[in-house]
Amino acid sequence: MSDLANLNAVEVTGVSKIFNEGKANQVDALLDVNLTIAPGEFVSLIGPSGCGKSTLLRLIANLLEPTQGEISVNGKTAAQARLDQDYGMAFQQAGLFDWRTVGKNIELPLELKGWNKKKRAARVAEMLDLVKLQDFGRMYPWQLSGGMQQRVAIARALAAHPPLLLMDEPFGALDEMTREYMQGELLRICAETSTTVVFVTHSIPEAVYLSNRVVVMSPRPGRILQVISVNLGSKRSELTRAADGFFRSITSVREALRGTHAQHVASTAIRGAEDR
Amino acid sequence: MKTLDRIKSIVAPLVFGVVFIALWEGAVKGFELKPYFLAAPSKIMEQFLKNTTRIWEATAVSGGNALVGLVIGTILGVAMSFILSRFRFLSQLVTPLAISLNAIPIFVLVAVLNNMYSITSEIPRRFMVTLVVYFIVLVNVARGLTQVSSIQVELMRSYAASEFAILRKVRVPNAIPYLFTALKVAAPASVITAFVSEYFGGLQNGLGSRITSNIANAKNAAAWAYVLGACLLGLAFYTVSIVLESLTRRGQSK
Ligand SMILES: Nc1ncnc2c1ncn2[C@@H]1O[C@H](COP(=O)(O)OP(=O)(O)O)[C@@H](O)[C@H]1O
Ligand SMILES: [Mg+2]
Repeated sequence: MSDLANLNAVEVTGVSKIFNEGKANQVDALLDVNLTIAPGEFVSLIGPSGCGKSTLLRLIANLLEPTQGEISVNGKTAAQARLDQDYGMAFQQAGLFDWRTVGKNIELPLELKGWNKKKRAARVAEMLDLVKLQDFGRMYPWQLSGGMQQRVAIARALAAHPPLLLMDEPFGALDEMTREYMQGELLRICAETSTTVVFVTHSIPEAVYLSNRVVVMSPRPGRILQVISVNLGSKRSELTRAADGFFRSITSVREALRGTHAQHVASTAIRGAEDR
Repeated sequence: MKTLDRIKSIVAPLVFGVVFIALWEGAVKGFELKPYFLAAPSKIMEQFLKNTTRIWEATAVSGGNALVGLVIGTILGVAMSFILSRFRFLSQLVTPLAISLNAIPIFVLVAVLNNMYSITSEIPRRFMVTLVVYFIVLVNVARGLTQVSSIQVELMRSYAASEFAILRKVRVPNAIPYLFTALKVAAPASVITAFVSEYFGGLQNGLGSRITSNIANAKNAAAWAYVLGACLLGLAFYTVSIVLESLTRRGQSK
């Protein structure tokens, strides 16, 4: 038991990812990425678009294979962790199945695990409770608002009680008010379920509000530039958004990002000059 | 408000139909058009009522051919679309073939088939209907099986789902609306194909052949009465396909 608790939730060692290697359209998406995430931690990935955030998340999920390096999840290979459904996943689009009711959507990963009907029904009820959608189990996804659909997607991702949750800009399509509400809900849910989270976002305040650590990435080839610890304690509320520490962390992330931006502009300028 | 819209959507075409028929009747009477040029609706109705049994018999023959072809073509089309979606390389081989087959006027095939089978056989016509339906169903269902949301497929892979599970839980449900879209097109097409196939010889017992023979005998109003039967048959097929669709749609959007 203590062994399990000591295992890292995610361990990324010397990982590089090259798409279409050796072809004309080769893309060096990630270069020598190292990242260790402890159980229960909330870690955000932030960086200019195209810097490989989604790629890193998909590598951890074993939906892609690294060109170089190794990834372990829960002390297993990423492939084994996927087979064991050790993680849940949510994207910017909720990706709900519109021919299934809300309840049936949440049930899907459990069906694939081969759970019996009774066990599934109990878990679906529990998850609907968790995301505060008790009365919506029999509705169809299109009858729900965007924020509610995203809550269903989170419930589905957590239905099998995976220790790890991978999220790719899950609130990117929501309006600001809904977004802040969802952030609070996500923190509550993760605290209740003690889930480790890797969270991709474009928004600095979102990253800071949610995370224990913010990983700032550089543009192509994607590298980790800086890892910023956010010391806002474990109990966060709307008051946190007005705290000094909140703004200080926002400033340090912004400065780290600005560094990458200046670098990005400089490198494209040089490339432009070479082209000429 | 909704019911008002619904009433409008029923009443408007009805009014249009009545006005159209009245104008038709008026034009035939007013310009004293010869019956072999254009028959009056009243004459057509008279012929229709007088020949109800014979029209019904001919409708049953053409409709039967259309139905047999529709069922077999749908089954074959669905089966083939599963095979194509499973083996992508096959689809690269078959698609150009399907397109070129569609490009040639395939009714010519009826003439060929009529030569292969005895003159009393319904098989050539049923084969034609099957072929037309087959391609409509194949193209649509194959699209439904392959054009699935990439996020949904990634989710399934994240649940360690097998290809078969992805087929059962994502591809097939995704393809069902495509199947009904195909049937809405294929149902009227099967009726039309069944008629037109009758123009290429063979048995003279269907609606298509009755229409030609009546025209040949200068019985214009009778020919139109058979056309009316043909319209009703096409409408019946279309209605059934729509009802089937709404039964399977359950609570879904659109
Ligand atoms: N399947 C793929 N094939 C080729 N290139 C890809 C693929 N997926 C991502 N890329 C490229 O890798 C880079 C990083 O993409 P991504 O991880 O989606 O960036 P981010 O999520 O940070 O915006 C981009 O340049 C993108 O075009
Ligand atoms: Mg991305």
